[in-house]
Amino acid sequence: MHTKMKAAAVLGVVTLALAGCSSAAAPEGDSSGVKQDEEAVLEVWTRTTPGSPSEAATIRQVEAFMEATGYKAEVTAIFDDFEIKLAQRAGQKDLPDIVLNDVSQLGTMQSQGILREVDLKDIKNSKNMTAQALEAGKAIDGKTYGIPYSAQANALMIRSDWLANLGLEAPTDWDEMLAVAEAFTKNDPDGNGQADTYGLAVPGSTKRGYASWYFSNFLWAAGGDFITGSGDEWLPSMTTDEAIEATTWFRDLQCTAGVIQPGAPSMDTPPTNEAFESGVAGMYVTGPYMMPRFDKVLGADKYTVVPAPEGPKDASVLAEGGTVYLMAGSENEKGQTAFADWYVGEESQTYGMEGTDAFAIQLPVNEKVDISEVRDDPRWETFATAYKESGHYAPTIPSWTPVRQMSADTINALLADCSLDVEEELTKLDGKLTAELLTQGILKQ
Amino acid sequence: MTIHTADAVNTADAPKSAAGTSVSPPPARRRGRHRVQGQWWVPWAFLMPALLLFLVFRYIPMVQAIGMSVENVRPYLGNEFVGLKNYETILSDPAFRDATVNTLVLAFGQTLGCLVLGFLLALLLEGQTRKLSFIRSAAFLPVVVPMAVIAELWRIMYHPTDNGFLNSIIGIVGLAPSEYINSPDSAMWSIMLMGIWRGGPYDMMIILAGLAGIDRGLYEAATVDGANRWQRILHVTLPGLRPVFSILFILAAIRGFRVFTEVYLMTNGGPNGATEVVMTLLYKLGLEQQKLGVGSAGAVLLFLATLVLTLAVQLMLRRKKDA
Repeated sequence: MHTKMKAAAVLGVVTLALAGCSSAAAPEGDSSGVKQDEEAVLEVWTRTTPGSPSEAATIRQVEAFMEATGYKAEVTAIFDDFEIKLAQRAGQKDLPDIVLNDVSQLGTMQSQGILREVDLKDIKNSKNMTAQALEAGKAIDGKTYGIPYSAQANALMIRSDWLANLGLEAPTDWDEMLAVAEAFTKNDPDGNGQADTYGLAVPGSTKRGYASWYFSNFLWAAGGDFITGSGDEWLPSMTTDEAIEATTWFRDLQCTAGVIQPGAPSMDTPPTNEAFESGVAGMYVTGPYMMPRFDKVLGADKYTVVPAPEGPKDASVLAEGGTVYLMAGSENEKGQTAFADWYVGEESQTYGMEGTDAFAIQLPVNEKVDISEVRDDPRWETFATAYKESGHYAPTIPSWTPVRQMSADTINALLADCSLDVEEELTKLDGKLTAELLTQGILKQ
Repeated sequence: MTIHTADAVNTADAPKSAAGTSVSPPPARRRGRHRVQGQWWVPWAFLMPALLLFLVFRYIPMVQAIGMSVENVRPYLGNEFVGLKNYETILSDPAFRDATVNTLVLAFGQTLGCLVLGFLLALLLEGQTRKLSFIRSAAFLPVVVPMAVIAELWRIMYHPTDNGFLNSIIGIVGLAPSEYINSPDSAMWSIMLMGIWRGGPYDMMIILAGLAGIDRGLYEAATVDGANRWQRILHVTLPGLRPVFSILFILAAIRGFRVFTEVYLMTNGGPNGATEVVMTLLYKLGLEQQKLGVGSAGAVLLFLATLVLTLAVQLMLRRKKDA
């Protein structure tokens, strides 16, 4: 009796498991084969914390879209494990219609086949988009798979009260930056009589590749890059003179000058933000999205925003931004197109920049929209200029995440262990990057 | 579990009456009860809810993971069969080998530390009075506090400047401030220490239960024979706790292999890979970099390792018992 039962149970498990497997390996979905319905509600996923001000800003924006066009849409905010949840929906062959996510995800999503190619002729407002933004929406095959709708670039946030206390000016190049950082560290800028201040806040953790994210500002300003190439021919380039120079300089901030906040190698962005707003570190290279928070916690009178100090080559900074992705297999492709088109139009770009707490649009991608007409805060112009003149997007390759992760591991190691040799570690990194590019099938032979 | 309890009872040579009730009722009575209960499917019906949950959330994903480990996983386009390529990739990855070594070091250190701490705590807090039960509950608190809270707490304690919490304490005895989780030299033992602090009290509870099962008469006999406190611990307490230690060892080893949360929250495998364990590496490969096939291959290897370890320990114990 017992054996029979066991056999039956095992059989049951196997059958169910096989059923599970076979559904996972269902035949390829054909987007054009889906029955269309213009009345269908567009499911919009956005990568923000549920309940946060930025979710509210997105909802406000999407409501304006519904009013303007008559299409129906519903916003879902997801932050943790966004990509995993998207992959799960991909497995069910039931993707959301629209995804609002970081532009650096384009390659990954495109190579998974979950994006629909966009014909720019359908996006009438695309003729007013900045060339930079249009370029960022293209995959390695040169076709457009996403419509960037919001841009942002990094700038230097610096404690103006500390500068005033020490009689210093905001730095404009790397040498001045190091001098200010040293003064902030050694000369007690907050005047409390204790050596408890540091020059620069750095999120040096490997989590989500933060260390690499932050370091990219310095790498690009020195004229270096993680990988170089185009199309499907790329080579690692972390052992070029520029990359070595940038890495050595950045690493010396920690190992020689000692001006980075303590514990940086294990900090991701939340504790690093705290280090800046609680007066542990006096400088922080970051994006405009931090201003509402720092205005509230630290006070807008305590810090200023200046362009990132110029490196050996130029003042290049990390540019990023949100992109409208039209997902494959939608039953309302017209609605998708209308959504993307409306999002980059003048009206919506202006509307999305209004507010005080959080913004659906950080910097406009539409050239006809002038940021100074919407916001009378000159700090936004600093970011706008930084984006226009020095904004540097991460290259679009099939999967940028591993490159960011691997370089973050190396930068993190160099910050944590000052006995490591920079060139040796960068050579190792180049080796790993070569293997990764080969895996992705884009290594230049 | 039953085997070990029975074993404990035998080793401790407990009174016959206790053993009688806990082991098995007379065969005749059991058969009778079976008939009264009726249909064979009744126990299965009671088990069904739990079995269904296990099936959906455990067994099916496990089988799928095995399937995925031989595929190039593309959720939308459909998976491609790639044979053993994923296994080759992960086994030839030096990061996987390093992570395996780190996992073993961490698992071994934490298991040992927890056992020692748990044993010491249990010896200190054994007894019946009400005050002791309060202290026992207090000592048990770290086990029930969520890992995320503990990690944040220890991050604050590990603040690497000389006025950080732990650094100011070790400063009193003249030690130089440590970098703790921020240096590759100290990150591993810092995480281990936190794990021991959290896991020790759990072991304490199980050991306390084991201590209660040791016949008091043995201690008295040992005292009469002239054994001092240390000798009593060595020759009465420790042998009496052997079955408890073995179950704790298996549990801790399995837990050790799967260690993830504390590492992910404290260092995410850094600095310089010093604390990268198998699970954090698999998380990065499978879920962050979306190489689900390679990640699954690693997970299957981890499963096999756990399985082999568990079976080996079981076999060893059985052989010892037979001998």
